[in-house]
Amino acid sequence: MQSIEQIDLSQIVVQATTEIYDTMIMAEIQSGEPLPNPLSDFNRYVSGIVGLAGLCQGMLAIHAPEKVAMGITNDFLGMEVDSVDDDVKDAISELANMVGGSIKPALSPNGKDIQLSLPSVFHGDYTVKYFTQAYWVIVPFTISSGQFFVELQLRRNE
Amino acid sequence: MSKAVLIIDDSKTMRKIITRTLRQAGLSFDTISEAEDGQAALDFLGQNKPNLILCDINMPNMDGITFLKEKAKDASIKDIPVVMITTEGGSDDVVQEAKDNGASASIKKPFTADQVEEVLKPLL
Repeated sequence: MQSIEQIDLSQIVVQATTEIYDTMIMAEIQSGEPLPNPLSDFNRYVSGIVGLAGLCQGMLAIHAPEKVAMGITNDFLGMEVDSVDDDVKDAISELANMVGGSIKPALSPNGKDIQLSLPSVFHGDYTVKYFTQAYWVIVPFTISSGQFFVELQLRRNE
Repeated sequence: MSKAVLIIDDSKTMRKIITRTLRQAGLSFDTISEAEDGQAALDFLGQNKPNLILCDINMPNMDGITFLKEKAKDASIKDIPVVMITTEGGSDDVVQEAKDNGASASIKKPFTADQVEEVLKPLL
């Protein structure tokens, strides 16, 4: 099995996210270059986060400005939403859940060495803290309603 | 004969996506019902007998594996086929555990309408 250092984290994030958008949402999505620095302070954002535990520890997060989170919900549900309600929070957490599930095989061949938590969702103004000594990547994606970010943080469980 | 399906998933988004995918797959159900966890599904099944159940694995309150175990104890519903919907990419153990507890098949997210049709048609 590859070590975390050998895995192209941005590639697996791009592959998982675009596959989900292509197959289950059938809407246009374009990935961008990974950001050089992490994002930590979010204002009027919605974030869906799933924790990873087992062989490696970390998290997979979707960070979307409110307007884009509503756009993702429109894409998912095929209905217009005009505020960040429970449907929007559910859509963002479900996207995080699916991307988290899709990256597992790239991190562990049979998937059983890594467990996913149930997704959590945050809305408003908040700060995301970073693991020390973690490998991380944050990739921007552009959809019709704007740009959102998919972040993966991992560290070996020693 | 009318056909009914029960979708069990804690995510409303996923329940809507599954409903949409069933239509895209050309699977015409007269009734599509929803439950947000295994316990809610068991309560529903006390009064209703759908032809097919689609069930998430990871859910709060009662997860999919526990639901399968509880369903197997009830003679009136134990023969209704269950297809598990899982995000557990590559996790053969979870899928095997579901099959060991009575699941007929499984579908991994993300899925296409064609994949759903291929799995569900033989069960209807």
